[in-house]
Amino acid sequence: MNTRLGIFVGRSLVILAWGLIWELTARYELLPPAFTGQPSVFLQDFVEHVADGTFPTAALITLQAVAVAFTLGGVLAILTALTMTVFPTVERLFSPIIDALNALPRVALIPLFILWFGLGMLQKVASGVSIMYFVLLSYTLAGAKATDPDHLLLARSLGIPRWRVFNQIIIPSAVPAIFAGLRLGLIYTVLGVITAELIAGGKGLGTLVSYYSNTFDPNGVFATLIVLVIITSTLSAVMSRIERSIGKWRDPVQL
Amino acid sequence: MPLADPALGGGIRVRKLSHDYQRDEQRIEALSDVNLDIPVGEFVALVGTSGCGKTTLLDILSGLLESLQGEVLLAGEPPSAGRPDTARMFARDALMPWRTAAQNIDFALATRVQDTDQRAQRIQQLLDAVGLEEFADAYPGQLSQGMRQRVALARTFSLQSKFVMLDEPFGAVDAMTKISLQDQLVELWEQTPSTTVVLVTHDLGEAVALSDRVIVMSPRPGRIVADVPIDLPRPRSVKALQSVSEFHKLVAQLWDELGA
Ligand SMILES: Nc1ncnc2c1ncn2[C@@H]1O[C@H](COP(=O)(O)OP(=O)(O)OP(=O)(O)O)[C@@H](O)[C@H]1O
Ligand SMILES: [Mg+2]
Repeated sequence: MNTRLGIFVGRSLVILAWGLIWELTARYELLPPAFTGQPSVFLQDFVEHVADGTFPTAALITLQAVAVAFTLGGVLAILTALTMTVFPTVERLFSPIIDALNALPRVALIPLFILWFGLGMLQKVASGVSIMYFVLLSYTLAGAKATDPDHLLLARSLGIPRWRVFNQIIIPSAVPAIFAGLRLGLIYTVLGVITAELIAGGKGLGTLVSYYSNTFDPNGVFATLIVLVIITSTLSAVMSRIERSIGKWRDPVQL
Repeated sequence: MPLADPALGGGIRVRKLSHDYQRDEQRIEALSDVNLDIPVGEFVALVGTSGCGKTTLLDILSGLLESLQGEVLLAGEPPSAGRPDTARMFARDALMPWRTAAQNIDFALATRVQDTDQRAQRIQQLLDAVGLEEFADAYPGQLSQGMRQRVALARTFSLQSKFVMLDEPFGAVDAMTKISLQDQLVELWEQTPSTTVVLVTHDLGEAVALSDRVIVMSPRPGRIVADVPIDLPRPRSVKALQSVSEFHKLVAQLWDELGA
């Protein structure tokens, strides 16, 4: 408990010191504040935009796309992974194709998504899904392969039927990796959606970032980034909490 | 199928058993012309240098591996994985980290007993027998290696199988813990007089202390080179045996047989 408190205090001091140096360099114009922004200003911007509803509205729009992309990509990934685990031939057939698709820079696909789905929410969802799907798929597959061979041998010596081996050994073995994939996938889904908003416009947080940088307002950019940091760290903390309550028998897999 | 040797009853019978593995075009002779009879209720230890084919023989007896040549019968039937009258314990405990100690035992027991209350009662008895009555709800990650091995032992004996095959069950625990585990194993076995045990071990002291008979195998390809009866009185205490001279004489004899 003491060390945890110590770490918290230490961290806060580091952030405070950093903010202070940033503030001073901007205030005394050691670096041009028109480029670097100024903490006292963007914190004020942040509070103002939260109060006037700009940030909450934009965050809600972004989060809607994130929620849809996360769910859709997640369900598709789990279904694919299950199929591939039950039918190894399917995996042998598709895994090189999936690896190749996963190597594509997703940003480059966004113009295509816009072409196919228009400028609305669908193209953001497509961008999010295109990342979420592959992250969770690779984690789930790796998890299913991480099954302890001794457990399979034990099941065989007990004459346990295949479907029970699947339910009672392969799936539980994959749970920690699935959670790691969900946690990482969630963060990446946010990134995918924000990137799509940066490129396509609309009303989300990504659009605000691109608007502020196009109008040479670094303080606006930083104020929006604060919102993003709050969102991603909250989501990540919630995921860890769920993970710990379900898998109390195992330490969460570190990313 | 009637057995040729009526004295053997429903025990284990191995005739002219040979087994080869194939690895990168290379043929590895693991077992060669093994002949062995184990009557019902006997506790047999199998010793031999590393790589001589002990695990291979155990895999064949428990039906995890198909024998290539020869005849193997358990109670007159060829071995097969999942036979309800055989139980196998592995060198590592093979406990599932997401199941508690009780649930791990239940994983095996549920394949033999339908009634949930009956299972719960048996699990509690077994945990008592291995001194873990207070750890029914502990996850393997919260147990020491010796405790985990005890859960695995309880799981193996929960099946009440006629044939129990143990592959170096105590290889990974310290000497002190080992003795208490060995005593618990003997106790579990003595409670069920018709259980036949085949124990693979590297520990010659363990082989003598636990078994009625020690089978010595030659280096690869494994064949049986000695069959040493152990006439120490039962019930035995492994700890008390440490100061019995007959015990040490038998251990010394085994070292000779192994050619060490
Ligand atoms: N799956 C396999 N494929 C090829 N060769 C194998 C395989 N399993 C075992 N062998 C070989 O067969 C021989 C006997 O192996 P086995 O595991 O039965 O030995 P062991 O007596 O149990 O050894 P240890 O005491 O080290 O456990 C060894 O030389 C080993 O290299
Ligand atoms: Mg072995």
